Amino acid sequence: MSNGTFEPRLVGFLCNWCSYTGADLAGTARMIYAPNVRIIRVMCSGRVDPQFVLKAFKEGADGVLISGCHPGDCHYKEGNYKALRRYKLLLKMLDQFGIEKERFRLEWVSAAEGVKFQHVCNEFTEQVRKLGPLYLSKNGGKHEQREA
Amino acid sequence: MAEMAKEKAYRIHLMVCAGTGCVSNNAFGIKAALEREVKKQGLENEVLIVTTGCNGFCERGPLLVVQPGSIFYQQLTEKDIPHLVEEHFLKGRPVKKLMYTPPKEKTPVPVLSDIDFFKKQVLIALRNRGLIDPEKIDEYIARDGYKAVAKALTEMAPEQVITEIANSGLRGRGGAGFPTGLKWQMVRNAPASNGSLKYLICNGDEGDPGAFMDRSILEADPHSVIEGMVIGARAVGASEGFVYVRNEYPLAIKRMNIAIEQARDYGLLGNNILGTGFDFDIKIVRGAGAFVCGEETALIASVEGRLGEPRTRPPYPAQSGLWEKPTLINNVETWANVPIIIDRGAKWYASIGTLTSKGTKVFSLVGKINNTGLVEVPMGIALREIIYDIGGGIPGGKEFKAVQTGGPSGGCIPKEQLDLPIDYESLTAAGSMMGSGGMVVMDEDTCMVDVARYFLTFTKDESCGKCTPCREGTKAMLDIITRITEGKGTEEDLTLLEDMAHAVKDSSLCGLGKTAPNPVLTTLRYFRNEYEAHIRDRKCPAHVCRQLNVYTIDENRCLTVGKGCDLCRRNCASDAIRGAKNEAHRIVQEKCIKCGVCYDVCNFGAVKVD
Amino acid sequence: MVNLTIDGKKVQIEEGKTILQAAAKCEIKIPTLCYHPVVEAYGACRVCMVEVTVRGKTDLVTACNTKVQEGLDVQTGSERVLKARRLNVEMLMARAPAAEPVQELAKALGIEKTRFEIKDPQEKCILCGLCVRACETIVGASAISFIERGTERKVMPPFGEPSEACIGCTACAYFCPTGAITYEDKYGRKVIHTELHLGPTTAIRVPIRQAVPMVPLIDTEACIHFKTGECKVCTKVCDREAINHDMQDETLEVEVGTIILASGFKPFDAKRIPAYGYGHFPNVITALEFERLVNASGPTGGKIKLADGTEPKAVGIIHCVGSRDENYNEYCSRVCCMYSLKFAHLIKEKTSADVYDFYIDMRCFGKGYEEFYHRLLHEGTKFIRGRVSDITDMAMTQREEGKLIIRVEDTLLGTVRRIPVDMVILATGLEPSIDHNQLAKIFNISCSQDTFFLERHPKLAPVSTFSDGIYLAGACQAPRDIPDTVAQAGGAAAEALALADKGTFALEPVTAEIDEDLCAGCQLCVNLCPFTAITYDKEKGISVVNDALCKGCGTCVAACPSGASHQKHFRDSQIFAEIEGIFVV
Repeated sequence: MSNGTFEPRLVGFLCNWCSYTGADLAGTARMIYAPNVRIIRVMCSGRVDPQFVLKAFKEGADGVLISGCHPGDCHYKEGNYKALRRYKLLLKMLDQFGIEKERFRLEWVSAAEGVKFQHVCNEFTEQVRKLGPLYLSKNGGKHEQREA
Repeated sequence: MAEMAKEKAYRIHLMVCAGTGCVSNNAFGIKAALEREVKKQGLENEVLIVTTGCNGFCERGPLLVVQPGSIFYQQLTEKDIPHLVEEHFLKGRPVKKLMYTPPKEKTPVPVLSDIDFFKKQVLIALRNRGLIDPEKIDEYIARDGYKAVAKALTEMAPEQVITEIANSGLRGRGGAGFPTGLKWQMVRNAPASNGSLKYLICNGDEGDPGAFMDRSILEADPHSVIEGMVIGARAVGASEGFVYVRNEYPLAIKRMNIAIEQARDYGLLGNNILGTGFDFDIKIVRGAGAFVCGEETALIASVEGRLGEPRTRPPYPAQSGLWEKPTLINNVETWANVPIIIDRGAKWYASIGTLTSKGTKVFSLVGKINNTGLVEVPMGIALREIIYDIGGGIPGGKEFKAVQTGGPSGGCIPKEQLDLPIDYESLTAAGSMMGSGGMVVMDEDTCMVDVARYFLTFTKDESCGKCTPCREGTKAMLDIITRITEGKGTEEDLTLLEDMAHAVKDSSLCGLGKTAPNPVLTTLRYFRNEYEAHIRDRKCPAHVCRQLNVYTIDENRCLTVGKGCDLCRRNCASDAIRGAKNEAHRIVQEKCIKCGVCYDVCNFGAVKVD
Repeated sequence: MVNLTIDGKKVQIEEGKTILQAAAKCEIKIPTLCYHPVVEAYGACRVCMVEVTVRGKTDLVTACNTKVQEGLDVQTGSERVLKARRLNVEMLMARAPAAEPVQELAKALGIEKTRFEIKDPQEKCILCGLCVRACETIVGASAISFIERGTERKVMPPFGEPSEACIGCTACAYFCPTGAITYEDKYGRKVIHTELHLGPTTAIRVPIRQAVPMVPLIDTEACIHFKTGECKVCTKVCDREAINHDMQDETLEVEVGTIILASGFKPFDAKRIPAYGYGHFPNVITALEFERLVNASGPTGGKIKLADGTEPKAVGIIHCVGSRDENYNEYCSRVCCMYSLKFAHLIKEKTSADVYDFYIDMRCFGKGYEEFYHRLLHEGTKFIRGRVSDITDMAMTQREEGKLIIRVEDTLLGTVRRIPVDMVILATGLEPSIDHNQLAKIFNISCSQDTFFLERHPKLAPVSTFSDGIYLAGACQAPRDIPDTVAQAGGAAAEALALADKGTFALEPVTAEIDEDLCAGCQLCVNLCPFTAITYDKEKGISVVNDALCKGCGTCVAACPSGASHQKHFRDSQIFAEIEGIFVV
């Protein structure tokens, strides 16, 4: 919140095989990118339960990123397809909750795509920054407290 | 049969010959005129007009035979018809001027069987000629048709049929004269590889120049061929047959198609023939008109859809023929002989003919002869009888020189051998062959070297080109003979020609090449002096080879008799004749191209040829 | 066995053989023209005629297709035979005066000149029909046949036009005894099947001289039998009966503990850069083709030759073809600099040609490499820095006439240059092998952006993959030269051995488990599991996870509507805690 600019808090669920390694690559390659994405490693993007996303928003995330292997490259054959299916459904649901769909993003980042990870992080951060903080009402959520 | 019984009875039957010869002489026009006239006279319930196959006496077409009574009318024109109908059919007075009058005689011969041409003939293969409508199966059946099939299928075992054919002494009528019974036995005995299929083929690829026996049978009596094939199929165990007809015989194809359809309708072809459980069907294959396809292996290749060229035998078709199955292949005339042998028995058939050649043979008598036509004669008859008694001798009082038998593969028989009895062996001994039955008569105006050249031109054109001796040899021999006829021949040419003829005969692959030198060899044997005249004297004794002729004008005759008519000069193509009207004319030999036009046009016999 | 006599010699031979075969057995030569042992006899030339006597009957027959009979007496040189043979040969001399076998035969028979009319002194065809029969029975194409009859007979495709049935095998020309059939080929060579477009080979061959195992194989793409179902001439001539056309590819299942993938690379397809004219200009060749060309056991025996057989006077070598190029592959092939230098050296060594070397950057990174580059500089190879734009044969000056012109921007001179050369060698880059993607799927290996296999860690685990027991070696992982590949392969082998020696490896600890008490038996998870690790227990009415099959992806956990499925170490509660933890700070 320094400089008066809004720094969104983002949660990233990254699959172990591609995206997490890709992020690792971005790190080992000393790439500079927005530090806003807090990464939670899961074995596969297919492991991402819609509850995790809702939980993240509830806990105060301004955006959630799911990242997995490119279609066809899933270490577990087809986990990323399931992630895609769930993502689409969840988008509709978030809309009903009043959460802008721009706050929720699914990206394919392979283990070799350190650069892409960098771009995704920067872009997503900028995107959510423009949207501003997410306010969730009367849910015991911690947004109000934070903004206050 | 019930249908036939229902048919009306007519007082008079008019048998109009619809053979190809008569058709080309307007037979159908005659038929139409007859119908018109008969109707006009109100005779349509009394007179029945029937179109028949070839009557045989083609020279005299168009022909009409009136039954009952066998009154023979000839050389009819449409103009004759009103008179004929009125006089004969209405008033009952046969018209004498339309009847046949033998040459040198004055009184006409009204009845067919009294005419010399028919008198000496014995009709077996042509038994139904002029008597039935080939497009009506009932008429064939009425003439005891399909009786033999019934006998062969119900009363005889296949072996018995073969024994009967063997005992009859029937030999292949296609030319080579292979014993038919033996051939059938070979096919029957042949182990049928890959299943039990065997095939039957009727060879109707008649290609000899001037021969039309097979055509006539197919056109006049197709059912006799079908019946023969069904009997043959039963005897050898074949289930499918093919009739190979040249596409140049459209009428034969049409009538054969009709006959096959009718036979199928009557249960005489197809499945379960006559209720005996025997299946056999026939298809027509149209040939493209290659002479070599008359050779059995080439014919088989053609039926299979391959290039029509012969292959080396053995294996014979009886062992491995059509689609490598045992195949029985016989000539049209052979098949036509089969039913009557089964019907009347081998003994009866064997009683006709000579020791080695039984039965009859159909010949097409053509050339320089009075009675051109199709004749069927018993084996063993002398050439003289055919030419003088049946054929009526040489027209124009010219002298007989030779007769060529067996088509382009046969040879020329000189007048010294006129008493030669006609059978396979004696013809072969004379250097000729039976062949399929062509008989070309030649008179004194025929150059024998030119005849050899003519037949070689034919065989050279018709050689398939597969084997070297036939392809190159016929061409080389033709070159030599052409040289001789142009007066450029040498003595060496004659020896070379003779050597080549022997070598080609010896080393050719199929019958075509093996027999192609026959015209050369026989003319060399009997008419060597003519060759020598061409070479040594540079003269053609018959004045046929124009390059050797010297044309001169008898100036005296030209002036006195012809009054210098100038016709020859005006017709001369090379401007070689000098003279003007009312003057004697003269030929400048250096400019003469020996076309012979002056000789042909001179009305006064002033142009001489030497 | 059949006994017969040939020219007085007694011969015994199996039934079904021909007189010609029997004569060959007792070394009596019967001349032939239309005969070939692998084609069915035709009996057309009538040169092999012999006189046979059997059961008192004498006849002239063709030896090539007449079967032997018991008691046959054969005369191969009787007066009658010679007379017919001489005349036939003499007639063939007139027909085909230019046919050498006929002339030889005529000489042997004492014929000096033919007495017959010669139509065409250049004619070679003797109408033996070997070509027609070969095309029909051996090739099975039936693209040619005889047309016309008699002396007009000719061998022709239908309507005398190039036939679609012709497969261009040139068997007709091969069987033609007189050379009457010729074939046309743009490159001036007989091309039945080319080995990398450099020279003729046959469909049966040892792939390369260094092949292991050293046995011939049948190239099913070139073999006529596999095109038409006919031919099989090879089985007729192989008396070991070693040829089997029915052999099929076999699938072998081998149980192993560890796997090393070394599937290598494929060269970049130079046709993808049309401006370089590969496949259009015969003298534009790829590096691998040049490698075959200079190989001592190659098609030219190691001589550097142009397509027309002459030696080049100038050669251009283009580096980085398909490499370091945004349009094709961005990565460096790592090997093309050094092998191009080797080529330049070899060309200098073997020819007197000028060598032009077009490079972007000279990458001589290994031991002794830089020194080699310097040696080349001294040898006089001309190095031009710049990427070649195109290769053309459109000459602009006299000097360029008949040459290939390389157009390039010389970045050191700052100008565009046109270099005329005779031969261009394209130093093609490296790409993963053809079935690379398939392999990646089978072994579940990730690929890096440049599509090569991804190692577990570029520094710490360079030969391992994310799957335990599967290792990488060589160019399947990244473009590599030979020393590097050997080193990496040694590493992979050591890793593989170490694991095999240990005999066990740890299963994924993160497998899923289903809480029996919570599971409602909806079976949603059963269908979701990509590894079929979940089965439905009918008796208990619940789903059960098989620990050995479960790979621990957690898809089932995320989908379980009753929360009965858990993933070890990634339980919902653990992840929730993580999420909460993030926002604590």
